[in-house]
Amino acid sequence: MMLTRFAVCVGVVLTLGLASCGGDDDGGGDSGTDTSTKTQTAQSSEGQGGTVKIAVSVPAADHGWLKAVSDDAKKAADDLGDQVEFTMNDSATSSAEQADQIETLINGKPDAIAILPFEGGALTPVAQKATAAGIPVINIDREFSTPGAYRTWIGGDNYGIGWQAGNYFADELKCQGNVVEIQGLAGISVTEDRSKGFADAIKQRCQDGIKVVARQPADFAPDKGLSVMENILEAQKQIDGVYTHDDDMAEGVVAAIENAGREGDMFLTGAGGSKAAMDQIEAGGLYRATFLYNPTMAASAVNLANLIARGEPMKDLTEPEVPSRIQVPATTVTKENVADHKDLAY
Amino acid sequence: MTAEAPPLLQVRGITKEYPGVRALGGVDFDVRAAEVHCLLGPNGAGKSTLIKCVSGVVAPTDGEILVDGEPLPTGEPSESLARGVATIYQELDLVADLTVAESIFLGHEPRRAGLLNRDHMRDRTKALLERLDHGDIPPDAHVRTLRPAAQQVVSIARALSHNARLLILDEPSAILDDHEIDTLFKVVRRLQEEGVGMIYISHRLDEISRIGNRVTVLVDGKTVVSGLPADTPPSELVLHMVGRRVEQLFPERAVPRKDEVVLEVRDLSRAPDVQPASFVVHAGEVLGIGGLVGAGRTELVRLIYGLEQPDTGEVLVDGRRLPRGRAAAAIAAGLGMAPEDRKSQGLLLDWDLTRNVSLADLGSYVRGVLINGRSERKAAAEQLRALNTKPDDPDRLARELSGGNQQKVVLARWLMRNCRVLIFDEPTRGVDVGAKQEIYRLISELAKTGIAVVMVSSETEELLGLSSRILVMREGAIVAELDGATTDEVELLSHAVAHTDTSPILEEAP
Amino acid sequence: MTAPTAARRRIPALPFGAGRAELQEYALVGVVALLLIAGAILEPDTFLTSDNMLNVLRQASIVGVVAIGMTFVIATAGIDLSVGSMVAAAGVLGGQFADSGSLMFVLGAFAMGVLLGGVNAAAIAYGRVVPFIATLAMFTMARGLALWISDKTPVSIFNLDFVRWFGTGEIVGIPSAIFVFLGVTAIGWMLLNRTRYGRYVVAVGGNREAARIAGVKVQRIIFSVYVLSGICCAIAAILLCGRLSSASPVAGNLLELDAIAAVVIGGTALSGGRATIVGTFLGVLTFALIFNLLTIMNLAVEIQQVTKGVIILVAVLIQRKQN
Repeated sequence: MMLTRFAVCVGVVLTLGLASCGGDDDGGGDSGTDTSTKTQTAQSSEGQGGTVKIAVSVPAADHGWLKAVSDDAKKAADDLGDQVEFTMNDSATSSAEQADQIETLINGKPDAIAILPFEGGALTPVAQKATAAGIPVINIDREFSTPGAYRTWIGGDNYGIGWQAGNYFADELKCQGNVVEIQGLAGISVTEDRSKGFADAIKQRCQDGIKVVARQPADFAPDKGLSVMENILEAQKQIDGVYTHDDDMAEGVVAAIENAGREGDMFLTGAGGSKAAMDQIEAGGLYRATFLYNPTMAASAVNLANLIARGEPMKDLTEPEVPSRIQVPATTVTKENVADHKDLAY
Repeated sequence: MTAEAPPLLQVRGITKEYPGVRALGGVDFDVRAAEVHCLLGPNGAGKSTLIKCVSGVVAPTDGEILVDGEPLPTGEPSESLARGVATIYQELDLVADLTVAESIFLGHEPRRAGLLNRDHMRDRTKALLERLDHGDIPPDAHVRTLRPAAQQVVSIARALSHNARLLILDEPSAILDDHEIDTLFKVVRRLQEEGVGMIYISHRLDEISRIGNRVTVLVDGKTVVSGLPADTPPSELVLHMVGRRVEQLFPERAVPRKDEVVLEVRDLSRAPDVQPASFVVHAGEVLGIGGLVGAGRTELVRLIYGLEQPDTGEVLVDGRRLPRGRAAAAIAAGLGMAPEDRKSQGLLLDWDLTRNVSLADLGSYVRGVLINGRSERKAAAEQLRALNTKPDDPDRLARELSGGNQQKVVLARWLMRNCRVLIFDEPTRGVDVGAKQEIYRLISELAKTGIAVVMVSSETEELLGLSSRILVMREGAIVAELDGATTDEVELLSHAVAHTDTSPILEEAP
Repeated sequence: MTAPTAARRRIPALPFGAGRAELQEYALVGVVALLLIAGAILEPDTFLTSDNMLNVLRQASIVGVVAIGMTFVIATAGIDLSVGSMVAAAGVLGGQFADSGSLMFVLGAFAMGVLLGGVNAAAIAYGRVVPFIATLAMFTMARGLALWISDKTPVSIFNLDFVRWFGTGEIVGIPSAIFVFLGVTAIGWMLLNRTRYGRYVVAVGGNREAARIAGVKVQRIIFSVYVLSGICCAIAAILLCGRLSSASPVAGNLLELDAIAAVVIGGTALSGGRATIVGTFLGVLTFALIFNLLTIMNLAVEIQQVTKGVIILVAVLIQRKQN
C-alpha cells in the first residue's frame, strides 16, 4: 500500500515537471520572432523596436528606503510607457521567498530582469540561473557573490558613505572628541562597509583624535535605536557626535537624545536621504547631515534593463554597451546644499 | 513446579526509601514458573514501587531480587527485560497511531540490511497473537481502532516478543468489563500452560480466587502475609489488609421518596452513542447504571450534565428545563459530577486541595471582587475533615494523595454546593477497600439527605449493593430497569450482553 | 506512601507571592541581584546610578506591559505570537487620528488592540484554531495592516503632548511610563491571584476538561485572555509612541519573543496551569538589565544574544526540576 502511494506521488511530480517544461509560448509581444532566437542574448547591434519585457524583484518594504526603491522603479517603468511590459514583485520577506518569486519571473521569459536581493549570497544561484537562461540580470545594491551571475551592477557606495561621514566628523569636530556609532543590521556588508569607511577616514585624518566610544547595532528600526541610544547615553557622559547608518533608524536615536535633553551637547548624522532627515537638516539643530544612498538607483536599473534588453548603449558614453558596474556616489547633504537634493528624498 | 529448580522470581528484604518517605520497608515473596501470584494491598501499600523495583525502573535501597536463582542487577530496565521480566501497565504503553505489529516490535524491530523487515514482523506478530488465542487481530490494524481489551492483548504480545517468562499485570481488569475479563483469564491460563509466571495485581477480591494460585498481601510497604492459597476466604484477606474484620462492605440501602422527582430525563439522545433515553430519579434514591464498557453510560450522563449537545430530548431538574449542552447551567441548577477519570477530568493535580475543592463554588468566598482566601481555606478544610480525607491539610497538592483520597476531594467539591443531583461515574475505580467503604457510606448518607444520586459503575457488586434501582444499558440504549434489592449478577449481565454476542474485536474507539 | 511527609519542599510564603513563592521566583531575584552587583563592579560610574536604574525600568515598561498580558495567555496553555505587530498596528491606527488630538490617538490605539486581539480570540476560542497558528497569522496580518495604513511611513505625533507625556513625562521625578508599568502589573496580579477570573484562567490551562466539568465557562475565558493581550499591546503602543514622538509601522519587531521569554523564565509554565505575575515582572527586569549592562559595556550584540539564550535555557531547566 505504501508502495502505491509512493508511486502515485512520483507520478504526479513527474507529470508536473514535464508539463512545466513545455511552457507557454507567448513571448513579450515580439511579433513573429520565435523563442529560440530570443533566448540568445539580445545584444544584437541593431536595436529592437517594439516592447521589451522587464521584470523587477525587490524585497518587501519594511523600511522607507525599500518603499522608495519600489516606488521609484514603478515610476521609471511608467515613464517608459509603451516601450516596456513591466512585472514587479515586491512582497518577499525572506531570501527563500524571493528566490521562488524570481524563478516564476524567469519562467515568464523576460528580456531583462533587475534584482535587489534580500541577501546577495543566498540569491546568487537563482541569478546565475537567469543568466544561464539568457536573461541579462541587473543587480541592484546588495551584490551577488560572483560576477558571472549578473550583467550589470548598480549600487550605492557604502564605503563612500562611511568615508565621507568620517571626513565630515573630522572637519566638524576638528579631530577631537567622542563619537557614538549606531549601526544598522550587524553582519551584513552594508554595515561593514559603512563602518569601515568611517573608521578609515577618521584614522587617516585624525589618527586617534576622534574616539568611537560606543558602537551598537539597532537593526534599522527606530524603536531599537531609541532603547540602544538611551542606554548609551547613560554610559557615556561626554558625547560630541553620533554617526548613524540610517535616517529612519536615526529618528529613534534623535528621540532618545531629545528626551534626555542633551541635544545641545552633540550633533547627529544619518544615511540614505529620507525626507524627514532633510527637513530636520534644513531646520538646523541636532540633525546636521545625511549621506545619500539614493533609492533612485532602482529607477536607473529599470532604465538600464530597458537599454540592455534592446542592446542599446548609454547615451553620452562612447562605448557601445552599457557598463558592467555603475557606482552611484554618496553625496554629503548638509544645510548648505539640502535644497538641491530635496526633490530626490524618499 | 519442581522442588530442585529455584523459583522464577525471589524478592528478599526489599526496601525503598525516598527523601522523607519509606515506600517499601522489607518485602519478601516469590513467584514460581506457571503460577499466577496475586498481589493485594490498599492504595499506597507500595505495590507500584515493588513492581518498579522488579522491572528495573527504580533501584531498591536495600535487598535483593533473584531471577532463576541468579541475582538481578537492579535499576536497569534493560537488564530486567533481558532476564525475561515484562510489565503490562494499567495505562497501556502502546502508541495509538502505530499498527499492532509496529507497536509490538517497537524498540526491537527485525531488520534486514538496516531496513525494517516488515514481512518478518508481520509473521512473528501473527504467531504471538496465535499463542494468545487472538489470531484474529490483524497485524496491520492501528492500535487506536482496537477495543481496550484487544489493546491489552497486544500489550501482552509485546511482552512475549521480548521472551518474557515473568509477566507483571498491574490491575489489568480495571479497564475491562466482565465479558472481556473472561477473555483475559483465558489468555492468562494459556500463558500459564506455557510455563510463564505472573504477578497479578488487583483490587477485586473475586478475581483472586478465580484466576490466582497464591496471594501475597502488602500493607504500608511490608509483606503482611505471603503465599496464601488463592481460595482463602475474602473476609480473611480483607482482614489482613484492613486490620479489622469488615463484615459489611455496604451500608443499608437508600430508600427513595417516591413522591418527589428531582431529575427527569426525556428522550435524551445523541447519535451514535446514546439512543433516546427517558427515566426519572427521585429524591433519596440511588440509581445505578450498569452495562458493558462502550454501552454509552458515560456518554449518557455527560449529556445530562450538559458537556455535550444532545440531538433530541431534554433534562428537567425539580420540574425546570435545563438549557441544552451547557454544563455551567446544569451546575447552577444543582447538578454535580464526579467524572470517570478523576486525574484527567476531575482534579487539577498541581493545585492545592483548597483550590480544587472550591473551584465549583468560588462565588461563596468572594467579597466584592476579591476572593477571601482565609474563608475559602477554612471551608475546604472543614469539608475535607468531614470526609475523613487523609491528609486533610488543605495546602497539600492534589497529586500527593492516594486514589481514594483524591476521590474524596472531588466529592468535597460538590458537597460544598448543596447539590440536588449527584452523578458518580465509576466512584471507586482504583480505590482501596478501606476508602471504598467510606465512599459507599457517603453515597448512602447523601441519598438520605434527599439528594438524587446517579451512579455509573462497572463493578456489579457496587451496583447491587447500593442501588435502589438499576438501569442496564446496551449499545447506547436503556434495555432494562431492575430492582436493586432483588436482582442479581446473572440478570444484570444477561441484559448487558446481547444474546448472540457478535461484537467484533475491532471497533471505533468511543 | 507510608509517612505523610511532604513530597515537595515547601518554601515559606513571601509577602508578594500568591501565598507560596516558587523556587523560580527566588532564583530570579537572585539573578537580578547578581546582575546589579556585576554591573556595579564592571561599570561603577554609570550602571548603578538612579538615573540609569530609572532608564532600565522605563525601557522595561513597554515589553513589561505586553508580558503581563502574555502571562494570562500562556496561563491558559495558549500563546500570542502577534503582540509585536499588534503594538505597531495600534500605534499606527492611533496615529491616523493624530490631528484630532491625544484622546483620539489613545482611543484609536485601544480600538485597534481590542479589534486585533478579538480576532485572535474568536479564531482560537470559537474557531478552534490552534493558538500558535492563529496568532502567527495575525503576526503577519497586523504587520501588513500597520504598513498599509501608514503607507510605510512613520506618523509624527509630536504635537500630542498628553501622549508624549506618557513616554517622557515624570511624576515626582519618576518616569510616568514606570507608573503605568507598575499599575498594569499590580492590576494583573490582583486579577490573576485574587479574583475568580484569575482562578478560572489558570484552571483552564491546568486541566481544561476538569475546569469544564467544574462549571468554568472555558470558551469565554480563552476568548478574554487574547483580548486582554490586545489591550496590553495598545497600552504599550501608547508608551512607545510617546517616547518616539511618532508611530512607526516597523516598531515592535520580535517583541513577542522578548515577552514570551520573560514570562517563561519568570516561572509561568508554557503548558498552562501555573502562572506568576511577579515572575514575569522579574523576568522583564532581568532582560532589561542584561541589555542595559551589555550596551553600556559596549559589548558586541552577539554576546548579548548568546547570554539571553543561555538564561532562557537555564530558567526552563529549573522549571523542569520543579515538576
